[in-house]
Amino acid sequence: MASRAQIPTSNSALIAMIADEDTVVGFLLAGVGNVDLRRKTNYLIVDSKTTVKQIEDAFKEFTAREDIAVVLISQYVANMIRFLVDSYNKPVPAILEIPSKDHPYDPAHDSVLSRVKYLFSAESVASGRR
Amino acid sequence: MEVEQEKPSLENVQARQQEKQREGEVVIVEEEEEQQQQVEEGEENANVLQFMDSMDAYLTLIHSLSSTLRQGWLELASARHSMGASRVNTVLLDHKFHPAATTLLVTQDEGKVDSMKQHFTLCKWASSGNEKCSLGEAKSGQDKLHPQLRHRASSQLYEEKTSSEYKASHEVDDQVQKERSKSLSVFGTLVSPKLRAAQLSFETALETLVEIANTRSAVLCAFDKVNKKLGGSKG
Repeated sequence: MASRAQIPTSNSALIAMIADEDTVVGFLLAGVGNVDLRRKTNYLIVDSKTTVKQIEDAFKEFTAREDIAVVLISQYVANMIRFLVDSYNKPVPAILEIPSKDHPYDPAHDSVLSRVKYLFSAESVASGRR
Repeated sequence: MEVEQEKPSLENVQARQQEKQREGEVVIVEEEEEQQQQVEEGEENANVLQFMDSMDAYLTLIHSLSSTLRQGWLELASARHSMGASRVNTVLLDHKFHPAATTLLVTQDEGKVDSMKQHFTLCKWASSGNEKCSLGEAKSGQDKLHPQLRHRASSQLYEEKTSSEYKASHEVDDQVQKERSKSLSVFGTLVSPKLRAAQLSFETALETLVEIANTRSAVLCAFDKVNKKLGGSKG
């Protein structure tokens, strides 16, 4: 029992967001925003000035926090850190890629679908991306 | 002479009986193996069906989310147009300490002891100790107001019970409305109806996202089962 990792259960886990301004504002209207005592938020607004390093750091921080259950990330932002997103394999927090205003959903880049894609074709996932 | 002739025939009969017994045992073993193979094939088919079903549900939910988000962005853009870009802006966001009003409840799937499947439940507007984790909670009190369920014998008791449930559901609704207004107040006291509509759209999107999260774990769980069988058959 000690060797198998336990999924942490939580009564009030947060939803983190790494997305564009409109998406973040919309979900904040729905009551998802959280600011802790150290003034750390559970969201990162990505705009033209946001660097890849900032996005990487936010992703690593949100996936390491125990109080976050789901991380919403715009698909075009996930594409900037695709290697990080695809190499992430913990059950919680769950990483959900969402479409953005300017970049509609592309099933070819979805991390879940890319994992199961090889069952539908003879090519492997790696060769499909090259 | 006759006795000597009888002995070999008895031995032959015994030998034939033993052969038939052995053949019977082999047939039984073969039948058992065939049954086990059929059961395994049935399980494999069930796993594949479960995987395909969960994939279909996942894709359907993604499309639904896309259309809900599009509606929300459009309403937000309309609100920005009517209120002004400076009033619907991330600069106005509250950076003082405040907990999230909408959270998630994470539980482990109790189907199997060693299951790694988790389940997410959305708790909307759960601040001030008022948890609304199930969408059906507020509706259950209203469903019981159906007039066909009233009987003369217990009508008074029933009416008292339904009126108290009705009051409770109204209190919950009032609390939820207060939380919604609090969330909107970040953008000013008087806000455009489009901003309120955007809020509802994004709430719907959140519900869809939670369903997507649960379906995603079902897809990955079913995929692991199918993958194991494929790996076992190849090896």
